[in-house]
Amino acid sequence: MSADLVCHLARFAGSLRAAGVRVTVGDEVDALRAVTLADLGDPEDVRLALRCTLKIRPRDAEAFEDLFARHWLQAGRADPLRPPRAEHGPGNPRSSGLVPASPRPVEVEVELPRGDEPGWSRDAILRKKPFEECDDRELARLEQLLARLAERLATRRSRRFVPVRGRGRPDLRRSLRRAVATSGELLSLAHRQRPIETSRLVLVCDTSGSMDPHARFLLAFARALKRVARRTEVFTFNTELVRITSWLSGGQQRSAMEQLAAAVPDWSGGTRIGECLEAFAVRHLEELVDSRTVVLVLSDGLDRGEPERLAAAMQRIQARARRILWLNPLLGDPRYQPTARGMAAALPFVDALLPVHNLESLERLLPRLAP
Amino acid sequence: MRAEVRTLQEAMAREGYIADEAIATALLLTGELGKPLLIEGDAGVGKTEIAKVLARLRETELIRLQCYEGLDVSTALYEWNYPRQMLRVRMSEQEAIDADRMEQAVFGRSYLLERPLLRAITRREGPAVLLIDEIDRADEAFEAFLLEVLSDFQVTIPELGTIRAEHVPYVVLTSNCTREIGDALRRRCLYLHLDHPSLEKEVRIVRSRVPGASEALALQIGRFLQALRARRLARAPGVAESIDWARALVRLHQDHLDGEVVRATLGCVVKDRHDLRDLNTTELGRLVAEARGEVAAP
Repeated sequence: MSADLVCHLARFAGSLRAAGVRVTVGDEVDALRAVTLADLGDPEDVRLALRCTLKIRPRDAEAFEDLFARHWLQAGRADPLRPPRAEHGPGNPRSSGLVPASPRPVEVEVELPRGDEPGWSRDAILRKKPFEECDDRELARLEQLLARLAERLATRRSRRFVPVRGRGRPDLRRSLRRAVATSGELLSLAHRQRPIETSRLVLVCDTSGSMDPHARFLLAFARALKRVARRTEVFTFNTELVRITSWLSGGQQRSAMEQLAAAVPDWSGGTRIGECLEAFAVRHLEELVDSRTVVLVLSDGLDRGEPERLAAAMQRIQARARRILWLNPLLGDPRYQPTARGMAAALPFVDALLPVHNLESLERLLPRLAP
Repeated sequence: MRAEVRTLQEAMAREGYIADEAIATALLLTGELGKPLLIEGDAGVGKTEIAKVLARLRETELIRLQCYEGLDVSTALYEWNYPRQMLRVRMSEQEAIDADRMEQAVFGRSYLLERPLLRAITRREGPAVLLIDEIDRADEAFEAFLLEVLSDFQVTIPELGTIRAEHVPYVVLTSNCTREIGDALRRRCLYLHLDHPSLEKEVRIVRSRVPGASEALALQIGRFLQALRARRLARAPGVAESIDWARALVRLHQDHLDGEVVRATLGCVVKDRHDLRDLNTTELGRLVAEARGEVAAP
């Protein structure tokens, strides 16, 4: 194989990377082997071989076709045969801005007017009281209730079995192995069981001006969750994304709030949800979010940025996360419709849109945090 | 490679699979580079069928592993045959065999139940086609394990040692994209994305799979399905559905679409109750008229 071909392919892979298509050296090796098998005089042959070996997904198809036309049709040959058509894959979804709505129907939960529950206690009233109407003493009490509430965080049994001592289902494989030592006498049964999986949560909280009345409380919620599900990660954003996980463990609530006010730029300023979620997707998505992670976005969806960026970021997060829940304090008002531009852009990629305006709504949220 | 691609396309067509050049190229490269092929696409576009046709073309066995959440090594790779082991141990209680020798006897190949992955590796008669279906349903732990098997084509069983592949199987993985496949596994494979077929291809597929369907019926079914897919249903019908529908209509002795029969058999194609509700009688009438070419499609 000629050195020319190797260089040409490397340059092509380089421009693909520059265009945001992920191509590894391993892919290049595959591509090189495939191209040596292909008929170099036939662009279609080369194109199909490259698409297959460089693992071009539909979302990268447009960039690939563009660069292919530039690198392989005009560079090498005098006759750029017919321009390559995109036979496979729909057009690049990113180009069309808002991609078609996801097939998963979005649930929107709105507070239903219900009769008061029987019995009376100060806590029962507190549970339904909107956060912004609480005074300091009530807030402190709410925080205590919250801590107890979080302990009920939903868990589920794993589908996998692990060996355990004592109770559980008999584990024949291990039992028999043990029995061999006692010439086939099963003196004790080994057991296995499905372990309990705790949630992995990522909270991304909006701290802009419009969220101000709720911020203190939602951070208390984040702290309470963090105590139960250790692997909870917390971010805040308004114009910039800040990771605040480490401030929440230990120490007092107030100090966390003070640190936050000092470190978060423009605390209670405007919001750029799209840019901040995009930053989250670029910097933290692979490390912190996997198919067992529930991502919670706490925001009223009043975005000053471009809705396209928000939609693209939400799509990336949804593809990786187990579930993505959008918690919106405005939903507590039955007249509210999710029509704010940002909210409308994010909605197709959200598994459920839920209210968070009082303790009761947080309580109802808990089962949805199951891994 | 063009000529080989043509030949493969023709061979696949003889087996009843209408493949375009991208599919044939991907299959050829899988064989030449000895790498697994990852096929992604919506349900019902013919991903699984590719593996079946490949097995028929290579005249070899198709070994299928259906993935689901919680799939583990004992279902995918191997399991010991406990009742037989137990029996053997019991039967030799009188003989004074020491524990080591007993263990060797009981953990021998003949007590091993081969599950799909192990069978694909140990098949003696030549390479098998291993279909790992709906890999997106398995969890990440299984994906990591699969990565190990697919890179070396060898497995280690603690009691037995390492078993190497006699022949490296042709591996086809399919995914409905319900979950993002890990990058490591993706990189280990060649990649093919299957989309819903064009009208012309769909008509050819229906004609080839349902010989009883007339040219006109196949064309009308094709047009109807294309129009349905353009409507953004919650569950877009695949080629599998158009074939089913063609079979149903042929069985009902139809050689063209008409409103009443379409309404009666719509369940072959539209399999979601919200979608069914959205397709009211006038909508259906319009779609049928368009499919029959009586009204120009908008």
